Amino acid sequence: MKLLEIEHLKKSFGGIEVLSDLSMSVSEGEVVAVLGPSGSGKSTMLRCASLLETMDAGALRFAGSTVAEDVDGRSVYVGKKEQRELKSIFGLVFQNFNLFPHYTVLKNIIDAPVHVQKRDKEEVVQEARALLKKVGLEDKEDAYPCQLSGGQQQRVAIARALAMRPRMLFFDEPTSALDPEITAGILRILRQLAEEKMTMIIVTHEIDFARKVADRVVFMDGGVVVEQGRPEDVIDHPQNERTKMFLQKMEV
Amino acid sequence: MITISGFRAEEMRSEMRQKRLHGKGLYRVVLFLLVLSVVTGIITVCGRKDRSVQAADGEDRTTFTLGFDAEFPPYGYKDDDGEYVGFDLDLAAEVCKRNGWEFVKQPVDWDSKDMELNSGAIDCIWNGFTINGREKEYTWSTAYIDNSQVVIVGAGSDIKKLSDLSGKVVVVQADSSALAAFTGEDASEENKKLCGEFEDLQQVSDYNSAFMNLEAGSVDAICMDIGVANYQIKKRGDAFRMLEERVSSEQYGIGFKLGNTELRDKVQESLNEMLADGTFEEIAKKWELTDCICLGQEGTDAAYLQDAGSKKDEPFVKKFADIVGRLSGGMLASLMIFVFTLLFSMPLGLLVCMVRMSKSAVLRWIAKIYISIMRGTPLMLQLLVVFFGPYYVFGMSVSARFRFYAVIIGFSLNYAAYFAEIYRSGIEGIAVGQYEAASVLGYTRVQTFWKIIFPQMVKRVIPPVTNEVITLVKDTSLAFALAYTEMFTMAKQVAAAEASIMPLFIAGLFYYIFNFVVAMVMEAIEKKMQYYR
Ligand SMILES: Nc1ncnc2c1ncn2[C@@H]1O[C@H](COP(=O)(O)OP(=O)(O)OP(=O)(O)O)[C@@H](O)[C@H]1O
Ligand SMILES: [Mg+2]
Repeated sequence: MKLLEIEHLKKSFGGIEVLSDLSMSVSEGEVVAVLGPSGSGKSTMLRCASLLETMDAGALRFAGSTVAEDVDGRSVYVGKKEQRELKSIFGLVFQNFNLFPHYTVLKNIIDAPVHVQKRDKEEVVQEARALLKKVGLEDKEDAYPCQLSGGQQQRVAIARALAMRPRMLFFDEPTSALDPEITAGILRILRQLAEEKMTMIIVTHEIDFARKVADRVVFMDGGVVVEQGRPEDVIDHPQNERTKMFLQKMEV
Repeated sequence: MITISGFRAEEMRSEMRQKRLHGKGLYRVVLFLLVLSVVTGIITVCGRKDRSVQAADGEDRTTFTLGFDAEFPPYGYKDDDGEYVGFDLDLAAEVCKRNGWEFVKQPVDWDSKDMELNSGAIDCIWNGFTINGREKEYTWSTAYIDNSQVVIVGAGSDIKKLSDLSGKVVVVQADSSALAAFTGEDASEENKKLCGEFEDLQQVSDYNSAFMNLEAGSVDAICMDIGVANYQIKKRGDAFRMLEERVSSEQYGIGFKLGNTELRDKVQESLNEMLADGTFEEIAKKWELTDCICLGQEGTDAAYLQDAGSKKDEPFVKKFADIVGRLSGGMLASLMIFVFTLLFSMPLGLLVCMVRMSKSAVLRWIAKIYISIMRGTPLMLQLLVVFFGPYYVFGMSVSARFRFYAVIIGFSLNYAAYFAEIYRSGIEGIAVGQYEAASVLGYTRVQTFWKIIFPQMVKRVIPPVTNEVITLVKDTSLAFALAYTEMFTMAKQVAAAEASIMPLFIAGLFYYIFNFVVAMVMEAIEKKMQYYR
């Protein structure tokens, strides 16, 4: 089953086209790594998929349900309320975490499940503690974000996304604000999630990680998908010139 | 010696530095020094006051500075051309001519006239200045005008005689003879009793606002000098009338600084000459005051003849406590303005801020214009508009109680504009990632604002809000524009009545302590919010 379908997505900022005709889909249980040079539109694609940006043209579907349909070359979205319901299918982990600084770690994690999803607080707290344990922060539930290191904050952000029980997770360069030795810890968590068959789209510059964890690698450049396929094909035997150039640069 | 004191200073400085490290220590040191200097100031000023009597008037005088209330026609006022004119000014000009002095007209704030005189900034108070009740406070000329206190009501009013005033609101000028006639130490028993029956006896700073109040219906009658009353009625047409019955009779003289008989005698001599050669009469005719002249008549020299003795000394502490007691009503009034203004303006500011940041361009512009007007015009003017607006715009008569509401409404509207802009800058400083995280987690707009944005905004705006709150403490004194007697107005009144500067020092001390407490509270709140960054 396709959890995410993007068809013929177009997006411009102030007349400059950032995504020109982008299509991609992600199946349930699939881990997709998105690679590409800076400015190629990876974040923009993910932000359109997370409804943080509106698409100019193209269609968007979550698990078969329409979020936006292309009508005569323009995207037409469903109502705000429906959008909010459909949103619960995904979670997004930001490059710079975006935790709520005035909430404790625990409150950061449980607030949305309790007040947005209206779930039982006791149950959510139990689940949040389990998630904290999973990301190795079981002793930090009363800390405030400013008392945590970057890596710890990113783990909380992952736990916060997971507490919403999403069917897929988006990551936009989850480790690029972190030191290399901290990066490994985050990637280990992602790998574990992959093993648990969590559907994930990960924008990353970690080629090694993509090779080991991703089921599929998507290479983007100039606002379109240039090449995609199994990691060993795209990364080790790239067909496209631009992919080759990018990978060469990354090697140094 | 120098080395020792240098070493001492160094020691003290390092001690202070240590205290700063230990938190609020420095604060206490500064407070102590400030209180010390204020108290020293009071003692010095109060101690010096009685010694200043001997201020000599040398032979080499070249100028004569006359202090007057520029809103007291026909004695001294600003005419339509913006010139200071009046009966007293014409008299003084003639006196100066005869003595070869340069004549300086110095308008003064009536409440500060004694300070102006005692400091030497003016040479005399010459402006329909009532002798009765002030005999011992100045060195006087002989009386030259006989003036009585009369009552003015609206032409259609049902008040016919003095006894009809019971249950009514009467207004007088602050520290005027009319006020003294009702509440002064020498007020007659009948007047005191009558005054007790008023619903309220209010004080305004000038007659213009007294008449505005009478027109607007917030007061029922004005009590004032007959000369002024005749002039005002003539100027303002037949919307007003004067009661036949008089409240009191009194005489005008020229007040000099206590003990300055030398200057007084020169002026008196010239006046007597002017009376003898008819110049005085001529000037009186010009101002239609011939009926009131009493210069040179019998019984006009009681104050003139009295010996310029000094007033008895009261122990400092008793006087201090006495004045604090008399000012306590004003302190409470200022406190009320402060509390109510904050209570209303802070939420109102949030509302204005939300409108200012709303999606609708029309709403945004409305808020923008509101803020620009509130920040671009004087608060004092806004207070006047709020108070008199209902009458002048809608013809509604305003009640006396409305005075306090108008102060609160005016202050709240004004401060809301400032708070709105502070809130807005606080909100705009919050990273866009916070909104995005909330959006992804499915929060509604309302939830996002109250759960995520508002708490972070509060923390950010505490320093600028503290500034505003401290300004508000001092701004409460602007309520005097609506004749609402808050702390500062009251201090000025008491200072005028006591001819002492001490009430003003106490007022300053009050504002300082008030603000010190405010700063401490705000600091505590700020500290409480320090749990996150
Ligand atoms: N809100 C915006 N307004 C204007 N231009 C934008 C905006 N967001 C992105 N862009 C532009 O769109 C292009 C693609 O940006 P995007 O962030 O999607 O690239 P990216 O592939 O994520 O790059 P990186 O690897 O550096 O994160 C860039 O040229 C960027 O300047
Ligand atoms: Mg990016």
